[in-house]
Amino acid sequence: HLSSWLRGCIQMLPGGAVARTLHFQAEDFLRRRLPARLVTQSRGRKWRSQQDEWRTRNKTVLTYIAAAGVGMIGLSYAAVPLYRLYCQASGLGGTAVAGHDTEQVATMTPVKERVIKVTFNADTHASMQWNFRPQQTEIFVVPGETALAFYRAKNPTDKPIIGISTYNVVPFEAGQYFNKIQCFCFEEQRLNPHEEVDMPVFFYIDPEFDEDPRMARVETITLSYTFFEAKEGQKLPLPGYSYN
Amino acid sequence: MSTAMNFGSKSFKPRAPDKGAFPLDHFGECKAFKDTFMKCLRDNHFDNSKCRLQSKDYLECRMDHQLMAKEPLEKLGFRDLMDPPPSQADKDSKP
Repeated sequence: HLSSWLRGCIQMLPGGAVARTLHFQAEDFLRRRLPARLVTQSRGRKWRSQQDEWRTRNKTVLTYIAAAGVGMIGLSYAAVPLYRLYCQASGLGGTAVAGHDTEQVATMTPVKERVIKVTFNADTHASMQWNFRPQQTEIFVVPGETALAFYRAKNPTDKPIIGISTYNVVPFEAGQYFNKIQCFCFEEQRLNPHEEVDMPVFFYIDPEFDEDPRMARVETITLSYTFFEAKEGQKLPLPGYSYN
Repeated sequence: MSTAMNFGSKSFKPRAPDKGAFPLDHFGECKAFKDTFMKCLRDNHFDNSKCRLQSKDYLECRMDHQLMAKEPLEKLGFRDLMDPPPSQADKDSKP
């Protein structure tokens, strides 16, 4: 028992082979010099205390490792709200930072030198039977000025269809400057059979768009709406309200 | 869309409109104003700056017919159309 412990402990040490030879030499030396019983006793006591020392050392190391593991798990749970806070503060990932103040609309001044072309796109989901199209393909706006645009939707079928839409702005980075004051998206819109309606979008581009160096080359922004059919009992989360 | 697979790139996050959604104009009550606005756009090569008066008229029509919440026009960015010019009689302002 003792010798297997010894072997195990010595193999843990660096230079185990050298230590092993030295140890065996010491053992032989001790066996010759001291009476056998004493040697075993003193050796047993010394090695037992060493065993205890190693045991406590192992226990300490294991405790540290376990604490580090628990710390990592805790950090990964804490990272979610911390990252969200960081994103809101820095505006990374398109979260709302610049100019989402409705008061700004009243006080902003148009940047007349920077003319942006806004093109319009309309899509429907494959199973959605409305005819949906923009009434103008493009419109020239300047940042800081509110603009109006129209889409038209027609229900050619014989039964009422409820639609709900979402939108997309390309390029993505310009999307944070594209503010819609009012539109027809994210709410259910019902069209009766053979009914045709005009759907307005009232929007503006934030005047800070002109000051952003990443937007210096952007001259065209595309606004794309897609209509889906709203099914009974389906409740869609309103974007922007579910996260914050 | 927002299904880009790379973590580094920004994806688009749609935001809800500031004042919500326009109710649908089922009866075409403001169709005339819309047609005026579209005609103005077509005549001016789709330059929005030249047709702001017509867009203001359209939104006022909506407000009058309960198709839009009533808001003072400055909040909709029409402050410049509202200011009465000091020397002329104003035609644009609405209390």
